[in-house]
Amino acid sequence: MNGRSSMGWCFGRAGAWLVLLFLVLPALIALPVSLTPERYLSVPKDSMSLRHYANLFSSDEWISSIFQSLVIACGAAILATVLGTLCAIGLWRISTRFSEAIRALLLLPLIIPPIISAMAFYRVWVKLGLLDSYLGMIIAHAILAAPMVLITVSAALANFDPKLEQASRNLGAALPTTLRRVIFPSIRPGILAGAVFAFILSWDEIVVTLFIAKFRVFTLPRRMWDGIRENTDPTVAAAAVVLIVVTLTALLLSVLLSRGRAPAAETKET
Amino acid sequence: MPDPASSDGLTLKGLSKRFGSFEAVTDVCLDVRRGEFLTLLGPSGSGKTSLLMMIAGFLDPSDGDIALDGQSIIRLPAEKRNFGMVFQGYALFPHMSVWQNIAYPLEVRKQPRAQIQSRVQEMLDLVQLTEFSDRLPRQLSGGQQQRVALARALSFNPQILLLDEPLGALDKKLRTDVQEQLKDLHRRVGATFIYVTHDQEEALSMSDRVVIMNHGKVVQVGAPNDLYERPETVFAANFLGKSNFLRGSVTAANGQTLSCVVAGADVHHRCNGAAPGVGELVTLALRPEKIDVAPLGDAPLSNGLQGTVSSLTYYGSNFTVTTEVAGFGSVTAEVGAWRNPHRFETGQTVDLSWQEDATVLVSEGTES
Repeated sequence: MNGRSSMGWCFGRAGAWLVLLFLVLPALIALPVSLTPERYLSVPKDSMSLRHYANLFSSDEWISSIFQSLVIACGAAILATVLGTLCAIGLWRISTRFSEAIRALLLLPLIIPPIISAMAFYRVWVKLGLLDSYLGMIIAHAILAAPMVLITVSAALANFDPKLEQASRNLGAALPTTLRRVIFPSIRPGILAGAVFAFILSWDEIVVTLFIAKFRVFTLPRRMWDGIRENTDPTVAAAAVVLIVVTLTALLLSVLLSRGRAPAAETKET
Repeated sequence: MPDPASSDGLTLKGLSKRFGSFEAVTDVCLDVRRGEFLTLLGPSGSGKTSLLMMIAGFLDPSDGDIALDGQSIIRLPAEKRNFGMVFQGYALFPHMSVWQNIAYPLEVRKQPRAQIQSRVQEMLDLVQLTEFSDRLPRQLSGGQQQRVALARALSFNPQILLLDEPLGALDKKLRTDVQEQLKDLHRRVGATFIYVTHDQEEALSMSDRVVIMNHGKVVQVGAPNDLYERPETVFAANFLGKSNFLRGSVTAANGQTLSCVVAGADVHHRCNGAAPGVGELVTLALRPEKIDVAPLGDAPLSNGLQGTVSSLTYYGSNFTVTTEVAGFGSVTAEVGAWRNPHRFETGQTVDLSWQEDATVLVSEGTES
């Protein structure tokens, strides 16, 4: 019986690894391709080369795209974090059936197909004169990302002890002070996680970008899209690796930041 | 006729709280004297915590008024009321050290740095936690956390301290120690303490006055000794300590002494107040420790019943003898364990007797 269950465990483990590979492999294929010495997209056979990375980081166009993507992603992350956090706190404080309906409504940007959002943004941005501008991109991405922040901050608030808020008020602190000194520090991991997700969402967003950017705004995903369509330059693969590395770094950062706040094993005395 | 004393301290006038169709608190009137230790005692769901939350300003009353020194404070938000509070589970700020927790109400009040410094030190000395000032709450034991919560709630010199079952999370031994410390603290700081608990021992040992609550209403208010010796209702007699209830109809009223028939036996009771008339049904509460238990004697009992021992439970300092009285039900007596001349066994028939003034006439109603 013991043998059988340990065999089942082995199968389960193997299955888990297979699924993981299936999920991750397509993303990782960019890594070998980016190291090819050839001028076309291929997996390197005999030798490897960093020439495409050199090309990536010496080309003004690529550098400008990386820089633009970073600016837009940071701007969108900040805006989405502020909006999403305030919204989550507001809904948490009201907390009625009505506010729960509002919450469901606010999650819509995550559910609506991106292509539909993209068309909507295009129509409205034309009227507002926000097409092909940093501000337009930042606002559009922030709108898409705010629900992410709403989710992570709401999760953090669900674990927040409402007695702490009562205690703060009882000790003489009005709402602004209570927010700043008690609520924010307690839900910081949720806010940070939301900010990271918002950053990642904007950082690799392509559908809406294609609709509302034209000449001036050329984000990294858009540059890659054009690169693939116009020629099969492996620099695109190098750019993809950069994209993945930045995304993973952001994720790692959020994990480290939230771990740093979790209680470490500590001595307890009587 | 306005009572000058009633404008001093906290006054609750006809306070009610409804949640939909449910009445959590119904028409509570109470005068809390300045500097007293008042306990709200009741089973869970009796409305005692709702009452405390209304005093703290976290719950808006549906009806009635709360006044402090004659001034209504009902419109004052919680943060302006200046009442300290020790929450159930303490609600210490987890990201702040002990020192920062205690300094918080002073910083919020924008007191000068030096003054905060000395006041926090004073509070740390008061609760004997000076060497723990840099610790985070989670690095402290339950008893220490409780003391931090007290220090924090008292650091801004509140006139009233509200305590919501502050000992609930502590084990029994520690609880007794902390009860002593709380009483001592109350004497030293001189603030009014309003203490919520469901533990009757805590209520009896610490309070100047106890308010017994049930179903959102005040059942009886009085000093612990008054409430224990002279409960007015079956609920009060049974919730504060234990009681046996003897029910029977009055057969004779001789001055202040009543006689009534309980389970075929004559029982006598000396009244304090107005005696009920002959033929009325009465309920007499009888504390277990006021019953003498003895082996079956020859002489008929002047005031008592005979029962068969159904169980014996040993508690160290005493034990309880539960007896079955034919035609009545069970009667529980408490007997000292040390040098008790008698040994009892289950199945044995015993005499249960008591003095005429040991019983208390109570009303059946559980509500006021």
